[in-house]
Order: sequence, then structure tokens, then C-alpha cells
Amino acid sequence: MAAMKFYCDAERCIECNGCVTACKNVNEVPWGVNRRRVVTIKDGEPGERSLSVACMHCADAPCAAVCPVDCFYTTDDGIVLHDKDICIGCGYCFYACPFGAPQFPTDGAFASRGKMDKCTFCAGGPLEDNSSEEFRKYGSNRIAEGKLPACAEMCATKALLAGDADMVSEIYRKRVVNRAQAALGKGVQLRNRNFGSKVDMKGKATN
Amino acid sequence: MTMTTTRSSYGPLMLKGMLATVLLVLILPLVPYVFAVNTDASSPAAASVPNPGADLWRAVRQRDSITAGISQVKGVETGVLINPSGKAWLEFRKEKLIPYSAYVFAGIASALLLYFLLHGRIRIKEGRSGVLVPRYSRYERWVHWIMVVVFMALALTGVILLYGRFVLIPLLGPEGFHVTAQLSKWLHDIMGPIFIISLLFMAFSFFREALFNFKVDGNWLLHAGGYLGGKHPSSGKINAGQKGWYWAVVFGGLALIGSGLVMYFPNFQQGREIMQDANMIHGLAAVFVIAFMFIHIYLASVGMEGSLECMTSGNCDENWAEEQHDLWYEEMKEEGRIGIPSNREQ
Repeated sequence: MAAMKFYCDAERCIECNGCVTACKNVNEVPWGVNRRRVVTIKDGEPGERSLSVACMHCADAPCAAVCPVDCFYTTDDGIVLHDKDICIGCGYCFYACPFGAPQFPTDGAFASRGKMDKCTFCAGGPLEDNSSEEFRKYGSNRIAEGKLPACAEMCATKALLAGDADMVSEIYRKRVVNRAQAALGKGVQLRNRNFGSKVDMKGKATN
Repeated sequence: MTMTTTRSSYGPLMLKGMLATVLLVLILPLVPYVFAVNTDASSPAAASVPNPGADLWRAVRQRDSITAGISQVKGVETGVLINPSGKAWLEFRKEKLIPYSAYVFAGIASALLLYFLLHGRIRIKEGRSGVLVPRYSRYERWVHWIMVVVFMALALTGVILLYGRFVLIPLLGPEGFHVTAQLSKWLHDIMGPIFIISLLFMAFSFFREALFNFKVDGNWLLHAGGYLGGKHPSSGKINAGQKGWYWAVVFGGLALIGSGLVMYFPNFQQGREIMQDANMIHGLAAVFVIAFMFIHIYLASVGMEGSLECMTSGNCDENWAEEQHDLWYEEMKEEGRIGIPSNREQ
């Protein structure tokens, strides 16, 4: 059983927002809904890093645990999807999600929430694969066509990786090894080169 | 006169049947929940594959708590990389609010049932005198019954959304429950603002008689309203227990309105943490007021003879007034209002 995961390489992401644009284009999400976003910390300061964030397709997803109508399900590929015909737009998944993935188009008066929308790993929804209704509700189903999510495929620096967790880990592991070799060759301490480093990343985050 | 005799001979049986039905309806849906609560939906197979991002996100969270940056995507908290506060809220809702509120409701309902089965209805000791005393004006009764409709709608739809996943999905199926849940959510959203107006009317209409009188109400509370010590303690128009219910509705209602509005308008830039707290307050206040409501409904209907008619006809029996609200009865007597039914008064 595969487990599809995203991984964003903070050393490669250049905050071009290509993934955000690709996602919007491929899935034709409603105005105001952003299934993916790029967050930059310490913008314009030493140690600036960017990460592309969307639904993480958690193995034990808090949104699924809290949903009062139990509309979430995990596919055989480990992708967390939801059924918009079951969703009531209560917003509890938004409270529970640490990554801010669930999005709500406004529906009706008083900015009340419509049915939740989130990253589907380009795997559509519970409806018939690539039917027009599926596209209208969930966006494209690239997984059914044997393709990976558009955001990762469009990523110019290949910072955003998507696919089977083991394969993504393997690619990233090779990168880390290469970086370590390059860094050691230049005499730079390894811990200064990584996202978790605290040495050169002091100072306040920019808002 | 004939009408009253017919009613009193059929009354007790009918009332007991009604009570049993109401309690069964309240308790039965909670039963499957007790079995469903401990099942965990997470599959071990999916969890065994390590997330390639685990180390990265751990590093993000450990970076001196700096998880906020900027994003080209504009919106509430879009610059926040990770906010794990939802876990505490989720656990509170799933492991505390849902099971313990079910225990509270079931406990109070069964305590009331037990009391009713052991002691039966509290009767008017002297029997009915047939002389009516005006108790609630037409206006007060309208305020009360509109509140009943609004509050019951909110309580019922809220309870459906709280327990539905565990209780109603197994019965109705996911599609069937979707209809119930969607209607519940809409009704809850519509009734919420009406509740604000209804609560304002309620709070102002009954404010004066709900103010505590320390001597009278202290004595009433000391004797637990006559349940301890046999003799019924003195009381004004409404007793300390009813005053407690008034303040529970007012303060519980204000907490519900405040927290409800925070969740109702997600467009004022409030973040997740405020909404999680609002949801917690909303749940706790709702459980508190609904639990109190069980006692109110019991005592105002099957629990005590002669109490329901105060809110339906607006009048109570003279002997009931003398036994339950002696100080108020004396006042009414002095004012010469005994025997003049509420409807004819205005």
C-alpha cells in the first residue's frame, strides 16, 4: 500500500508561487479558495526560507477525526479526500487542521461557510473519475490518469516533491547527502546549512 | 367542573406515559454511543509509512516558535506555517465534551425518572380550590413560549451535531445523516440571531422577580426548596431554584451568544485559536443550560401538579399559590387580585 505525500525542500523553494498558480489553474478553484500557499519566513533577512504548504494527507488526520458528519476518507494511496455531498460546512476541520488546509468559499449571507474545499492531491473525489461533476466539485483527477499533482510537476526548482513517501524520502536523502558533501568541501558547518539551524536564523520573523 | 374531573382522572396515567416517552427518547440515542466512543478510525497500515516531511516540520516547530511569515496568499493566518493548537481542542471535544455531556444528560434524566417513580408527582396538598390567581400575563407567556421554541430548536440541532456522528450515522447512514445535519446547521444558524432577541425579552421581562432576596431565598436554599426538612419554605413570586434557572439562562445564554457570534462570522480576521476557544465555551455553556432545562421541564410539567397551567392559561390555583409561593400569594391577596383570571384582567 502506497502512501502519497508531499515534501517541500526549503533549500530549493524560491517562492515563485508556481505551485499555487498550477493548482488554481488545474483545479479551477473558486475565488478566495487557496488549496496551496507558499509561506516565507524571515523575508528579506539572512536565513530566509520558503515552504509550500497544502493538505499534508495525514495518516491520522485531525480533520477526519473531528468531522461531525464523517465525510473524510483515505484512499488506497493514502490520500485524504472528502465528500462534498456529505459536508455541511461547519468549519470544524479548519479549527483542527494545523496546516490551515481546509478552505471555505463564502456561501450566502453573513460570510457563512460553503462546503469545504482542500487539496485533493489532484485525486478528485468520490464521484466517477474525471466526470464533469467530479471536476466541478473537486477539480481534476490526475492520479486517475497516472499523473502526479500539478503543483509538484510544475515546480521549476523541483523543491516540491509529490509521490509515494518512500520514493520522495529517497530523492530527498540523496539531496541531503550531496549537499553535505558540497558543504563539507567548502568548510561550512553542516548545521548552518539546514532549516533547523538556530545559528544564523535568530531575529524576529517578518510579518 | 365536569371538564376538570375528566382531566384529573386521565391525567396521571397520560402524564406518566408522556414522561416515560420523553425520557426514553432522550436516553435511547445515547446508548449506542457508549459502545462507539472507544473505536478508533486510524488505520495502523497507513501510519506505518513515515512521512518524509516529519523531520522538516519538527524543525519548523522547534525553531524558537517562529512559525509565522508572509504569504502571497492573503487571508487569515495564511502566513502561519503550522499551528498545532487544534489538537487540544479536538481532544477536548472528542474525549471530554462528547462523553461527559452524555453522562450528564443521561444522569439527570435518570435521576428525575427515579425520583418520579419513587415519589411520584408533587400534589397540591389541599387539593384544587377552583379559585384562580393570575400569575403570568399574556405578554410574559408569549415571551416564554417563543423562547421555548427557539431554545428547543437550538438545543436539539446542537445535540444532533454533537452526537450525530456516533449515534445517527449508524442509524441513518452517511447520506441520510447529511440531510439531518445540514438542516440542523441551517436551523442552528437561523435560530441563533432570533435567540439573541428572545433572550433580551426574557431577561428584561423576568428581571425584577428574579433578583435574589437573601433572607427568603437563603432560607429556601437551606431547606433545598422543601425537599429537606419536610415543611415548604417561604418564597416570593418565584423561588430561589427558579431564580437560579433565570440566571443560568441569562448568563449561559450570553456565553452562548458571544461564542456563537465568533463562530458565526468567520470574516473578522479571528484565527483558529479564538474559534477553538469559542467552540469550547459554546459546548460547555450549552451542556450547562440544557442540563438545567431538564430539571425545569420536569418540575414545570409532570413533576408538580398545578405548575404547567401557570404558563399555559396564565393562572394558578389558589391553594397551589399558597403552598408554593406563600409570600407572593399574600401580596396578591392584599392587592385583591385573587379570583380574577389573567385573561380577564387586562
